[in-house]
Amino acid sequence: MKLHWSRTAVGRRGFLKGATALGAAASLPGGMATRAAAADDSTLRVRAYGDMQSMDPAYSVGVTDEEIHASVYNKLVQYKPGREWDWQLDAASMVEQVDPTHIKFALRDDIGFTNGFGAMTAEDVKFSFERIVADATESPNKPDMGPLRHVEVTGEREGTIVLNEPFAPLWSIALPYIAGNIVSRAAWSANDGKVTTTPPAESGPYLRASWSPKEKTVLKRNPDWRGEAPAWDNIEILPIDDENTAEIAFEAGELDFTRVSLGSVARYRDGVPNGGALLEYPSLYYAWLGMNLDHPKLQNPKLRAAIQHAIDVPTVLEAAYFGAVEPSTGIIAPGLVGNRAASKIPPEADFTKAAQLLAESGETNVTLKLDTLNKTTFTTAAQVIQATLATIGITVEVNVLESGAFWASAENEDLQLVLNRFSMTPDPYYATAWFTTEQVGHWNWERFSNPEFDQIHQSAFKESDLDKRAALYQRAQDLMEDSGAYRFLTHEATPVVHSSRVMPALRPDGLALLRYFEKG
Amino acid sequence: MLLGYALRRFGVAAVTLFVAVTLMFVMIRLVPGDPVQILLGPRATPELQARLTAELALDQPLLRQLLIFYGNLLQGNLGVDVFSGRPVTLIVLEQLPHTLRLIFASVLWSVPIGILLGAYAAARPNTLFDRVSAVISVGVVAAPAFVVALLSLLLFSVHLRWFPAIGAGEGFWDQLRHLVLPAFAIGLSWIGYIARIMRASMLEVMGADHIRTLRALGVAERPIVLIYALRVAVLPVVTIIGVGVGFLLSSAVFAEIVFARPGIGKLVIDAITTRNYPIVMGAVLMSTALFVTATTVADLINAMLDPRARAGK
Repeated sequence: MKLHWSRTAVGRRGFLKGATALGAAASLPGGMATRAAAADDSTLRVRAYGDMQSMDPAYSVGVTDEEIHASVYNKLVQYKPGREWDWQLDAASMVEQVDPTHIKFALRDDIGFTNGFGAMTAEDVKFSFERIVADATESPNKPDMGPLRHVEVTGEREGTIVLNEPFAPLWSIALPYIAGNIVSRAAWSANDGKVTTTPPAESGPYLRASWSPKEKTVLKRNPDWRGEAPAWDNIEILPIDDENTAEIAFEAGELDFTRVSLGSVARYRDGVPNGGALLEYPSLYYAWLGMNLDHPKLQNPKLRAAIQHAIDVPTVLEAAYFGAVEPSTGIIAPGLVGNRAASKIPPEADFTKAAQLLAESGETNVTLKLDTLNKTTFTTAAQVIQATLATIGITVEVNVLESGAFWASAENEDLQLVLNRFSMTPDPYYATAWFTTEQVGHWNWERFSNPEFDQIHQSAFKESDLDKRAALYQRAQDLMEDSGAYRFLTHEATPVVHSSRVMPALRPDGLALLRYFEKG
Repeated sequence: MLLGYALRRFGVAAVTLFVAVTLMFVMIRLVPGDPVQILLGPRATPELQARLTAELALDQPLLRQLLIFYGNLLQGNLGVDVFSGRPVTLIVLEQLPHTLRLIFASVLWSVPIGILLGAYAAARPNTLFDRVSAVISVGVVAAPAFVVALLSLLLFSVHLRWFPAIGAGEGFWDQLRHLVLPAFAIGLSWIGYIARIMRASMLEVMGADHIRTLRALGVAERPIVLIYALRVAVLPVVTIIGVGVGFLLSSAVFAEIVFARPGIGKLVIDAITTRNYPIVMGAVLMSTALFVTATTVADLINAMLDPRARAGK
């Protein structure tokens, strides 16, 4: 094709007029006459704190992967957006616990896999769940499926999940989270079971359209999806490590949804740019000060009790978390089974009692080392703890570590005090798992070992009576506190902001359920 | 003679590359923290940990690990990413163009301005322009690049919305727009460096015998400055640009984080944090090669422009 064009004569006057107009346009708010973002109405742009790592649910290791998986795959049930933990049907038209170890399910008849891999069947459910627990798979998500024995296929779309023993977290972790994603048996087999970053078949309301490493993942509407239509045609998930960068991008109109730093909460409470809104959700994280029970310097229980009583949790939270979070009562967050209404030791310090306990301990000239991550929040918290312990005569040396070195603290035999923070899934079973005797030398850095605690961890997940289960986990946290190895600090919080274009759908801990995001 | 100089220079470059990569290989393994535990997370089975330990040869003595690394490298094999199972070479080559574009854009806008500023100031020493340019040069050198980055983001992205705040863009023009602010942030201080070096070099050349001779012969001042003085005075700048690639590589790390851009710097930081040794080594190898290549090319250009350089004088 030949293009014709004619040269337009532009005189000095014409040039000046054009230049003036351009200059005026550039000086207008929204400069260059267009928004930098130029996001179209059908594309939702959200921030993830990391990049996608695997499209295989068996090897997915985090929230970012799951945000994508939950949009492109289906589960029998999904988390229900809202402020309280609950689930709703997804690929299943029916799920029923017929007895403590048998769960019957029936699949919807309108879900199919892409790339010609056919309708979703009970065989796909069996394949997806059983490969998670198979030793050969070596899935890090195996514990999430708990005591799964097998899935019995009773019809093309019907089956029964059979457990070796009752497993309460099945409903809070196994089915609605990473391990519960149903993949195509035929597609995975066609790939010899090796799926890395390209999904061979998808079935959800979105399809993964593209992935640019360290840049973005793009989801597009699945044209063959027969369920309730998602609101957005496209979703762009941008990996942004730095929360400040994410906030700037949000304020520049380039993001519709992002988690923000706790330090920015006060500012956003006064108003969110672009007509957006701030939502404050609690978090499942738990932060605490731990004491290594095996360390010679921390053998005296009265010394440990003195430390517990001398740490003023509200002051720590005010300084390190800008007062945007609440003190915690243990490792199990509010809203979950087993959360304690109050800790045994009040969050406020009792310096008189602490000094008295220290005197009774007979310890003098106590000098301890406090290890912490090189993040401002933790270094600030460590400095406050250092100052408050100094008031009763305990000298603390703060040892700031880079993340790789910090997370290898199990190898550190000289570990004394440690400021720590773990994440968890919405079931107490996940939290207690790290503090058992079996975990000493791995993730139980306090080297806390209590037979009753171990027994609770091994039995509480089988308990179907919620009240009894709650009492067991509350007792477990009492035991942790009584050991003197823990001073619980906070569960932190998840503040998020969203633009006026979007109505986010969030889990009770503030994490995004992208497939349910609506238009604002 | 130039060929001999080039061969010597390539030899030095190869040795530099070997020493730098070997040092990095050893240093990353001396940092505390079990890479297998950090990489696989708390829920990995002991069998999986053992398998990865063997795959990464972490159960071997350090010297043997190094020999295995160089053996694989000679076969063009940098290994695979532990998380995604993708070849490290591919991952690094995906990220490299983003960093190269950023460095190139920074040099492209800052160096000509720096040269012009320095040359013009030297041609009019002790004038108001010279003094103002000195203040500007020192000012931009003193301004931390991360402050420039944040301020430019707030002004040009949040307030005026002229340029995008994050990402690398798609398509030529969009990528160009995404380059403006990061290239501005890391290139700004370069104007100051280049201008000061250029001014000093130019003043020295302008006082040289051959310039005095040209003046005595009645050659006009403009050709003296633009043709005879500038060519010689620019030599230190060429050298500095070569060395400066290393500086720009390190600046690119923060630019990639602040502007949420993909690139080698961000790749290395993420990989070091997770102790992802194959990615660390692949990225370090590539960025070291880039630095060594840049300094070598700068030296060769220098040698071409100035025969004294290739004679080692």
